[in-house]
Amino acid sequence: MGFALHEAKTLAEATMLARDLGPDAMFIAGGTDLIIQINRRVNTPRDVIDLSRIAGLSGISHAGGVFRIGALTKHKTVETYPAFGFGTPYAGLREAARVVGGHQIRNQGTVGGNLANASPAADLIPPLLALDAELDLVGPSGTRTLPLNAFFLGPRRSVRAHDEIITEVRFRDLPPLSAIAFLKAGRRKAMEISIISVAARLTLEADGRCRDARIALGAAAPTPIRAREAEALLEGGVPDEGVVAMSARAALTSVSPIDDVRASSEYRRLLVAALVPRALKICIDRIKSARS
Amino acid sequence: MLDDADDKPCALSRRGFLGGASAAGAALPLVAEAATKPRTGRSVAAPDARAPAQVTLRVNGTDHPLSLDTRTTLLDALREKVGLTGSKKGCDHGQCGACTVHVDGKRVLSCLTLAVMVADKPVTTIEGLARPDGRLHPMQQAFIDRDAFQCGYCTPGQIMSAIACINEGHAKTHSDIREYMSGNLCRCAAYPNIVAAVKQARDVKEG
Ligand SMILES: Cc1cc2nc3c(=O)[nH]c(=O)nc-3n(C[C@H](O)[C@H](O)[C@H](O)COP(=O)(O)OP(=O)(O)OC[C@H]3O[C@@H](n4cnc5c(N)ncnc54)[C@H](O)[C@@H]3O)c2cc1C
Ligand code: FES
Ligand code: FES
Repeated sequence: MGFALHEAKTLAEATMLARDLGPDAMFIAGGTDLIIQINRRVNTPRDVIDLSRIAGLSGISHAGGVFRIGALTKHKTVETYPAFGFGTPYAGLREAARVVGGHQIRNQGTVGGNLANASPAADLIPPLLALDAELDLVGPSGTRTLPLNAFFLGPRRSVRAHDEIITEVRFRDLPPLSAIAFLKAGRRKAMEISIISVAARLTLEADGRCRDARIALGAAAPTPIRAREAEALLEGGVPDEGVVAMSARAALTSVSPIDDVRASSEYRRLLVAALVPRALKICIDRIKSARS
Repeated sequence: MLDDADDKPCALSRRGFLGGASAAGAALPLVAEAATKPRTGRSVAAPDARAPAQVTLRVNGTDHPLSLDTRTTLLDALREKVGLTGSKKGCDHGQCGACTVHVDGKRVLSCLTLAVMVADKPVTTIEGLARPDGRLHPMQQAFIDRDAFQCGYCTPGQIMSAIACINEGHAKTHSDIREYMSGNLCRCAAYPNIVAAVKQARDVKEG
């Protein structure tokens, strides 16, 4: 059976509709995930609330030392946003956005949908975790803000109530001598879900010691995760090859990857061990080349 | 999968019939109404779910008023209702690019687009490229000149993507073209000739 499609013009309309229609109603943004779920009968919503025509939820802005990405922003916009370009400290975000599906998917799929899905393999989540991003959830009774890392509960499960809409995700400017890098392993390059993804972010002191480290992993556990032991090992010391190798080993203590058709758990662990040091080295190189 | 009745443009569809003979003009469930009358749960919403939506698709410059099941993808609407079968269904879940069309000038996958969500937005399909006098679009001509297909099944999607690729400014180098055409698979592996065709069309446009 079909569903009733409700076209919301404002956030308030959308949240009220969701509240009144109950948990069988679902939001749709770009539809790249939901339409497949509906076709496969994974989801059979009675009502679908179209968010795509709500004004003011799309686009990226930068003011007051904060980057804000509206929930309806397309992956393509993130990929082509100049301040996230190669040569900027935020290049890792572009690296993630440019490997989501193919170019057509990136013209359709939204950042909000990528987060709301709460897929452990969603590509934008690790770099946003590495940037200490927070997000806003707007529901019928108001707005709440939470750190992105408190959003995920399990595969496709989050703390979002059925009538809450993600409106934006935002993060502060990185301090000087910072960089973020993102690496993704899939079975092939284009249009492929990650079997492991790694986002690393380093902030160095002028003397080369590590002030702040973030390592976030996708598809390595039931939710996207931070490898906190690995981060702690890096902080305070000089991230030379030995330390980087140690932190990669430490990252393995944080993961609990699954076996599936795409990769075995063992292979995923090997990828974590290989990609964490690579991502960290890219960060170090980027910081160095920005400095010189 | 389809029956002939469904192929007729604008015909009252089976699904529409099932939904009751709702005349054109019966609109989508009204948000305004829903917002002012608090509803609880599915009881009120259920009848809406069976009602076909009345939408107008603007395809290649022509308006097509249609009565559609809300689940209908743009691809199915184009092929089964509007009667434009140029856009192909390869996978029906976003992985092959055969269904690529332009919405609002951007390339999207029509199999992952709900028709009702693009009502009133300009849609361009492969059928909308040639001039009224029959002269082919430079990209269509280039695909012929460069022999950029074998079976031809992926070709409409490749051409729609290729045009977008040039419009986006991503056809400058060989590797750019390969990267920016990577959302379109070709089972016959005509890739080298496709790249050659994109280059030819690019140079025609520039030259
Ligand atoms: C072929 C293919 C390849 C893909 N490859 C990748 C990939 O490489 N990497 C990757 O990360 N993803 C990939 N995806 C998944 C998907 O395209 C992305 O996750 C995309 O960002 C989803 O956004 P959307 O707007 O299309 O979501 P939708 O399908 O519109 O919605 C997805 C879910 O999120 C909810 N939702 C959407 N927006 C909001 C909001 N603002 N607030 C609350 N809930 C909301 C919906 O109710 C639904 O449950 C792929 C999909 C396909 C079909
Ligand atoms: S049919 Fe749409 S991508 Fe394959
Ligand atoms: S020409 Fe046969 S699939 Fe491309």
